[in-house]
Amino acid sequence: MQCIFYMIRKEFLQVFRDPHMIALLFVVPLVQLFLLAYTITTDVKHLTLGVVDYDRSVSSREVGRLFTNSDRFELVGYAESPRQVGDLMRAWQTQMALLIPAGFHRDLQRGLRPQLQIVVDGVDGNTAGVALGYAQQILTEYAQDIALQLQRLGTPPATHQLRLLERMWFNLDLDSKQFMVPGIVVVLLTIIPMMFASMGLVRERELGTLEQLMVTPLKRHQLLLGKIIPALILAYVEMILVMLVAVLSFGIKMNGSYLLLAFFSLLYLFTTIGLGIFISTWTQSQQQAMFFSWFVMVFMILMGGFFIPIENMPVLLRKLTYLNPMRYFMYILRDIFLKGSGLRYLWRDALILGLFGFSILGLGVAKFQKRVG
Amino acid sequence: MNSPNLAVWTRELTRRFGPFTAVDRVNLAVKKGEIFGFLGPNGAGKTTLIRMLCGLLLPSEGEARVNGLDVYRQSEAIKQQIGYMSQRFSLYEDLTVEENIEFYGGIYGLSREKITAKRETLLQQLDLQRYRRLLTRNLPLGFKQRLALGCAMLHEPPILFLDEPTSGVDPRARRSFWEYIQELARQGKTVFVTTHFMDEAEYCNRVAIMNLGRVIALDSPLKLKESYRKSTMQGVFVEILHRTTPDLFASQEDRS
Repeated sequence: MQCIFYMIRKEFLQVFRDPHMIALLFVVPLVQLFLLAYTITTDVKHLTLGVVDYDRSVSSREVGRLFTNSDRFELVGYAESPRQVGDLMRAWQTQMALLIPAGFHRDLQRGLRPQLQIVVDGVDGNTAGVALGYAQQILTEYAQDIALQLQRLGTPPATHQLRLLERMWFNLDLDSKQFMVPGIVVVLLTIIPMMFASMGLVRERELGTLEQLMVTPLKRHQLLLGKIIPALILAYVEMILVMLVAVLSFGIKMNGSYLLLAFFSLLYLFTTIGLGIFISTWTQSQQQAMFFSWFVMVFMILMGGFFIPIENMPVLLRKLTYLNPMRYFMYILRDIFLKGSGLRYLWRDALILGLFGFSILGLGVAKFQKRVG
Repeated sequence: MNSPNLAVWTRELTRRFGPFTAVDRVNLAVKKGEIFGFLGPNGAGKTTLIRMLCGLLLPSEGEARVNGLDVYRQSEAIKQQIGYMSQRFSLYEDLTVEENIEFYGGIYGLSREKITAKRETLLQQLDLQRYRRLLTRNLPLGFKQRLALGCAMLHEPPILFLDEPTSGVDPRARRSFWEYIQELARQGKTVFVTTHFMDEAEYCNRVAIMNLGRVIALDSPLKLKESYRKSTMQGVFVEILHRTTPDLFASQEDRS
């Protein structure tokens, strides 16, 4: 046991003596958190809007105002003609145009259903879809208001309207940060332990110290535990750091149990540390280890549902994601964070994640020999 | 033949890497307390041989025993009996002198008190007290070499394997290093050392000259010089290589 203590002490001495390592472990994750939380967002805000108003009435101005009331749309200006709006759109100055025909106000007052036209820049399909949704929501509400007003005035409404009451569960405001931050925690718990384990071992191989360790009576499991335990400790410290920042400064809600979170993380860390050890047994230099780790990471992240929804993938790829341990952990962590799910709902995933962890770590340990060549 | 008085014993020891035979049917019997030198050009198979004896590499064929322990089945027990120092002086350059000693002491399973005691003796012995808090990377090479040897001997092994321990070290440091090796041999340690400095061969009790994976001469330096009628080991070495690989020298002469 004492040997393991000396191994761990050595690892931490090395980590804390290297300013690059400190930056890599404690600054980079926070930068990542800030960048990813704010850039990878499915919220659509500040859409540029151009209005062509042929009606120039109280109602048409009212509609324009409704659009600019929220921070979702930003009025860039009134255009004289559809052609002018088209030019604005080509120049990337407006993403959506609202065309209000002449007679809009008059038709509304008569209880008729005047038509409005909305033109959306479809280059970015996602944004266009969301923008259209917002616009429809605004206009539906407006139509309902008008209908109510007319009712009070005694004019019968044009049609009986079916009203849809929407309610989002688990993430009431559809705040994408609540969804992304658990994902960032997953990515961190993938990159850092895998890199730490693979680069740590390969660096010692390059320097010749691994060979020296292999000639000592230090047992294989002691040597590996001396690498695994520091990686686990660092991963947990990272996680606490990132979550503290996320909860305190992003207002991320953690609805589930912290203990459960720690437990699932341990299962997942077995997988990522095991991958690191496995990579180190295949590679002779830090460049090679870096390359392999990078490849594994890109595959895991792209196929893990971090920002590409697995449900949207072609069937074959979707099936392939079942081989990706990150996929399970991603679901679990989002469940714990957003839904506060307990073990009752997650035990199946725990089993799968545990299976991945033990077999990958086992494979790495079995492949690691106290011999050269 | 396989008496317990032998520190190292091999019979027809062979190691192949694919079609290439790095060590070819080597037979050795190194007595306890002997300084046994291994000479040979680069690629002769010296490092491969040492690695097999240290349990770092499995032999392809043949037998080998270190302090009576079998390299196939008892490689972990052998590691308790040997100190190993590679040509790279495998210290942690980002740890201080003290931290390196403490680390290796801990790895060898010494108690905390023993580590402290050993650390102080070693620092004094190596004249490293003023450097104790210096990062090893900033240590002069000669000191690095002695520290690496000191760390490899913290568990007081009876047998030392030194793989080109003097490469890159200046002549004065080499001389004092060899004086220290002789002192260790007087204390009863067996020293198994490879080198390509011929003058260093003079310090050895016996010398094996290796080329292309085979041992081609084995005797004391004095007897080797007599039988090849040369005044220096350098002369003996060149003569032997000339006889075993004439092509090598022919091509070199052409070039020069």
